[in-house]
Amino acid sequence: MKRTVLIAIALAVIAALSGCGQKTVQPGVIAGFDQGEEYLKIWVHSIEDTPEGQAYREAVDNFNDKYNGRYFADIEFIPRNDSGGGYSDKVNASVMSGDLPDVITVDGPNISAYAANGIIQPLSELTEEEKGVYLDSIIEQGTVGGELYALGAMESSVGLYYNKDILAEAGIDVPGAGNPWTLSEFKEILEKLKPVMKKKGGYPLDMTFPTGEASIYYYAPFIWSNGGDLVSEDGLKVDGIFNSEKNTETMLYFKSLADNEYMSRTPIEKLFESGRAAFKFDGAWEVNNVYESYPDIKLGVAPYVVSDDWDGGRYTPTGSWAYAATSKTENIEGATELVKWMSGTDSGLLIYEKTKNLPSTYACYERISDFKEDENYKALYEQLRDYGHPRPKTPVYPQVSTSFQQTLENIAISGMDAKSEMDKSVERINAKLERYNRE
Amino acid sequence: MKKKTSTSILGMAFFGPALVLLTVFLFLPMLLTLVFSFTDYFALNPDLTHFTGLGNYIKIFKDELFLKAFINTVKFVLIIVPLQGLGALGLALLINKVTYCKKYFKVAFFIPVVMSLAVVSTLWMQIYSPEGILNTMLGQIGISPQPFIYGANQALPSIAIMSAWQGMGYQMIIFLGGLQAINPGLYEAAEMDHASGWKKFKDITLPELKPLCVFVFITITIGAFRMIVQPMVMTGGGPSHSTYTIVYDIYETGTVNWEIGLASTMAIVFVIFVVILTIIQTFLTRDKEEKNVNKKAKRR
Repeated sequence: MKRTVLIAIALAVIAALSGCGQKTVQPGVIAGFDQGEEYLKIWVHSIEDTPEGQAYREAVDNFNDKYNGRYFADIEFIPRNDSGGGYSDKVNASVMSGDLPDVITVDGPNISAYAANGIIQPLSELTEEEKGVYLDSIIEQGTVGGELYALGAMESSVGLYYNKDILAEAGIDVPGAGNPWTLSEFKEILEKLKPVMKKKGGYPLDMTFPTGEASIYYYAPFIWSNGGDLVSEDGLKVDGIFNSEKNTETMLYFKSLADNEYMSRTPIEKLFESGRAAFKFDGAWEVNNVYESYPDIKLGVAPYVVSDDWDGGRYTPTGSWAYAATSKTENIEGATELVKWMSGTDSGLLIYEKTKNLPSTYACYERISDFKEDENYKALYEQLRDYGHPRPKTPVYPQVSTSFQQTLENIAISGMDAKSEMDKSVERINAKLERYNRE
Repeated sequence: MKKKTSTSILGMAFFGPALVLLTVFLFLPMLLTLVFSFTDYFALNPDLTHFTGLGNYIKIFKDELFLKAFINTVKFVLIIVPLQGLGALGLALLINKVTYCKKYFKVAFFIPVVMSLAVVSTLWMQIYSPEGILNTMLGQIGISPQPFIYGANQALPSIAIMSAWQGMGYQMIIFLGGLQAINPGLYEAAEMDHASGWKKFKDITLPELKPLCVFVFITITIGAFRMIVQPMVMTGGGPSHSTYTIVYDIYETGTVNWEIGLASTMAIVFVIFVVILTIIQTFLTRDKEEKNVNKKAKRR
């Protein structure tokens, strides 16, 4: 008897704690959700009280106005911590419990993994005209196995920034877009700058190979422009690709940058911003950062450097968070409409206005004056438009990203043997690929 | 009889909620971790889970990275335990002697304990940075700049020193309490016999503090094994995995690469290791106490 009571209490509490049962939201329960409207739930990886969160909130409100009587979108904010947890943990947990909403945000490089594991489903067919709205890099990023899964909320880019005063002092001219420096030319320039920068107590290059996403994001273009790649077309093979001879060549180029003291082996803070480095690779946010906080630096954006054998193909960094419809949604048309709206021009303008994140549609760039008047923003946009290349599309992307950084650091900074380090990485990635290759 | 029943119901009402919460958030996850450790559970696709038997266990012992993380963790423990333990004891002895501003010193040394590890780590990144305070000071006395957390050989010791500094205050307070509990009569008696300062420390202070030393030793060890925040914030496990720890590996495997099954196996192996270590420690200390009891009994 006693035991039964105890068990009953325990079960009741467990049920209460786990929020037992699927809730279906009825019209009228939430303000704005009326009879006859189809309910769509959307999760975003942000906090409501941030400029980014407000942009999402406003975009959803606009959607509800526009589709009043047809759809009602309900937004939920799920914070994401710096190391990327939080939001993705929630998504993972919901995969297991089956509580996914209709639309979620996905970081660009994770789209493949989510698609391969059936967390997201292809969007309903977009017309060529609808697709044409987006930058090529956005469509490319969202396409897995020939099907479009996701559309970018925003885009991103990395610039090769330079200090105009320093380059003028050293008598170095910067080439125009479409005619970037090759790696050999770049090395000569760095050599020329070395004595100049030594006098200033700095280095020609402000460059580091940090852990996290930055390394692969900034430096994989060196691999691509050299005709190399990190994974196979289908994302399921790395042997002979990640550790190819061409890639070894590229890794050794990075090593030579450190060996020749063109860069510091240990990261020095604000080297470029304090005028003690001529060049720096950094995200598009650096433009705003320099404008706002370091007005003394005369900032320029040079075309991203390419290998000596560059064939003119796409190679520069891209990619950011995107919207996708989950496999859980029964209303794929509605979810697709919501994805299109949230990634569309109006929403892109809102996001740019509040966060300065690069938008994902052509129309946004035409409407925002910065991309026409400011030479640096313009250069970043044109680089993105003409040369943007998505990061490797593979379900084991996190391991590829980690391995790339570790290989780069071990070879370039710690001076370990290039070939064996790359083989070790291949082994590690293969271990993660096993699950996809056995089915 | 009736009264007994009502008392036990009352008791149950008190511990019931705690028991339920513990079950849901502690025992159940622990049990699940054990179950998952025998599967290839993958966070993104739970439907495809199969039992793999001891496959994961074999896999992680062949995994170079896990072994490296394991060795790093042990190295870290070996550096930090004496450093933090002796440091805390030293501080406690000093503060015990100080007559002015005792409170000030106590608070000053305790503040790092209260601060969040992430904050402390960020602070020390500035101290250790190539152009930071420490390198500037070294430069003054003619020593060339050191890489500290950016060098594969120095990163782990650098983090250990920082962690010892951060945690020392806590053990210092414990030792201080122990010191103040020592009967002053013992010292007076020693002075009558003209015992030197060192003798007093060796023959009175240390033996009296012994039970505390054991406690401090075990808590520092277990805390050190769980290290993850410092490398996560300061080095990302680098350079060249020199600060990659077991818990960090568990996190990377489970959260970043979604391999919950494999991460669970690592967690289980880790727990078994720490439990064995704790049993050994408990066994050793119990032995000593028993010996003491025996000695005392003989004297009587």
